[in-house]
Amino acid sequence: MILQVKNITKTFIVERGMFKRGAGLVRALDGVSFSMEEYSALGVVGESGSGKTTLAKIILGLIPANGGEVIFDERMIADFRKDVQIIFQNPYNSLDPKMRIINTLAEPLLIHRVIPRHALKERAIELLRMVGLDEGALSRYPIEFSGGQRQRICIARALASEPKFIVLDEPISSLDLTIQAEMLDLFLALKERFKLTYIFISHNLAVIKQMADQVIVMESGKIVEQGAKDAIFNSPAKDYTKLLLEAARGW
Amino acid sequence: MGNLLEIRNLKVNFNLDDQVITAVDGVDLDVREGEVLVLAGESGSGKTVTALSITRLLPRTAEIVSGSVMLRGKDLARLSEDSLAAIRGKEIAYIFQEPSSFLNPVYTIGNQLLEAITLHHGKDKEEALKEARELLALVKIREPERVLLDYPHQLSGGMNQRVFLAMALACRPKLLIADEPTTSLDVTVEAQILQLLMELKMRLGFSLLFITHNLSIARRIADRVSVMYKGEVVEEALTEDIFKAPKHSHTRELIRAYEKIGRL
Amino acid sequence: MGSKRLLFGCLIIGIFSLLAIAAPLVSPYDPSSIDQAGLLMPPSARHLLGTDGLGRDLLSRIIYGARISLSIGLIAVGISVAIGLVFGAVSGFYGGLIDSLIMRFVDIMLCFPTFYLILAVTAILGPSIFNIMIIIGLTSWMGTARLIRAEILSLKEREFIQAERAIGASSSRIILRHLIPNAIGPVMVNATLGIAGAILVESGLSFLGLGVQPPTPSWGNILIESKSTLGVAWWITVFPGAAILTTILGFNFIAEGLKKKIG
Repeated sequence: MILQVKNITKTFIVERGMFKRGAGLVRALDGVSFSMEEYSALGVVGESGSGKTTLAKIILGLIPANGGEVIFDERMIADFRKDVQIIFQNPYNSLDPKMRIINTLAEPLLIHRVIPRHALKERAIELLRMVGLDEGALSRYPIEFSGGQRQRICIARALASEPKFIVLDEPISSLDLTIQAEMLDLFLALKERFKLTYIFISHNLAVIKQMADQVIVMESGKIVEQGAKDAIFNSPAKDYTKLLLEAARGW
Repeated sequence: MGNLLEIRNLKVNFNLDDQVITAVDGVDLDVREGEVLVLAGESGSGKTVTALSITRLLPRTAEIVSGSVMLRGKDLARLSEDSLAAIRGKEIAYIFQEPSSFLNPVYTIGNQLLEAITLHHGKDKEEALKEARELLALVKIREPERVLLDYPHQLSGGMNQRVFLAMALACRPKLLIADEPTTSLDVTVEAQILQLLMELKMRLGFSLLFITHNLSIARRIADRVSVMYKGEVVEEALTEDIFKAPKHSHTRELIRAYEKIGRL
Repeated sequence: MGSKRLLFGCLIIGIFSLLAIAAPLVSPYDPSSIDQAGLLMPPSARHLLGTDGLGRDLLSRIIYGARISLSIGLIAVGISVAIGLVFGAVSGFYGGLIDSLIMRFVDIMLCFPTFYLILAVTAILGPSIFNIMIIIGLTSWMGTARLIRAEILSLKEREFIQAERAIGASSSRIILRHLIPNAIGPVMVNATLGIAGAILVESGLSFLGLGVQPPTPSWGNILIESKSTLGVAWWITVFPGAAILTTILGFNFIAEGLKKKIG
């Protein structure tokens, strides 16, 4: 078991009205538990407001949970910040616009002292090649790249520290359809090459079907149904899962 | 069936600071009476610019270089701004991707609906209010009385799109142009809105020009599909034919991606 | 449009800065040497902008005055930006109690009518150039702090900052390498306007006799000295006034141009 998530709850305080009267509580996550084996791929599917992004951020320790535990196996994940990475939905937003690509890629290398300074450039080029870009990208700024290319750069940055576990939070949904297809192939290739364990979050069941072997269906902060991919897609037990499948298949 | 709208040789340039970009390059497009035409393409293919050119709703940097836009024999490209304004909303109406950003946040839904209703023909308040309720019922909003008093931010994305659709249909347009109206919505809500659109089309008999990057929507609702790529229409065919035997390489690429990403 | 304005502004300020730096080389006379031939001489070939009430060459005084006025503007704003940057960044990044404390302190500082505060402090500490710079700097950083805080609050939620945290970047690295470089744009706009403001404040102080003390020339005190001779010697009022006006206009053009560039 590389990851155990135990009974996570998260509430957000929502302020209502101009003078913040009657602040309300929203339960973004409510008793979420699951576990993952090494080298497995977990798909998390749900609509907006289902809590899937909140879950990703809590697993990464980017926001604190109100209750519950996220436990990574220390034998496999020795240095959390190095071994666990995240790729976000919006590649337009996830690169520092004021930084050249080489500096963006060098950052995780420097922070985690993965390699000596003089080898930085070489390693950055290697990372770019891995995601299908070339060294011409090094001295350019994010604005000079398309969405798909930026997402490739984000992937290169995430892989720089040689992580073992990656959370992909809707990593393709802001890209054009043809680019989405390319990206999925890239993910699958990289998964094999680096022996990654990952969580793939998406609202798109067709994508989850290709990327995951275990699936969690979420609604309003709760896990509605979880199980092996084939079970979920072929014989869903819960109405909400059926509804999602139906909507995705058309009428 | 005859053509409701005929676009011929439409060319639109964007004049930027230091360069001119041709966004639409010689587009021909027909929308037939009562049909659903899906205009498919990826971002930057020129599909939205084409749609906005129909009633010249383009940003200031854009310039329609050439082309005619015939609506039942009337060339919209030659009309003055005032005569065109009379056609917008009345004969050709739009719905967009982010309804909440097109609704004015400081007015109630009721206020905005009433404006849409009274804009093109003078009705008194009682009549208009009655009409507003009917419109909300038409788009299947369950509690019309409450929604009339709500502000846009109090409603969900799907509800806002319904309200926006109600406003668009207020004058019973002949052509509804829907630019990615379901892209920002959840899949279950998307399915509902598409179903609603189809029902209303049957009931009210308008033609629908539906713009999307998502071929699975084309498959569900379209009679015909036009595929745009780099400012040009590269293929146009009946929906069945385009999925069965796509001719252009970009169409094939789109379909391959759809098979992988969009199809369960 | 923005870039033309920016260019024009830079040109104006560039000329004044060059004059100020090269003052000993370009000014025709020593700014405090008195021409025995006459006081209050109108502009002529000998004295391009005329002489003042003591017979000193006005052009030379304005050129030397540029040194004082521009450096007061630059250094005062430098101090104010430095303070504002630190308070704003800390406030925006850490939030919570620290944020509340700093922002309440900003509110308190904003409650004082700045000009009277400056007046009071100069009256106590004495009106030296050094004091004036520091006092203006210490009383004008609040706008910058608020600006930086607001920028950082919104930048903090952007995904690239989250991504930085996910790759293990420390808080100081995130603030210095990512947040400040991205937030600095609007601050620069604000700072350019601040320089113009500081020059005006110095002029105002001089008017009340609490600015740069004669015989050291600043644009403010040259202008003030002219008030007794206003009826007979228009040039002593018009030229330093024009210098202040053009400079402030120049900085405003730069600010506006920058704003367009950034926005």
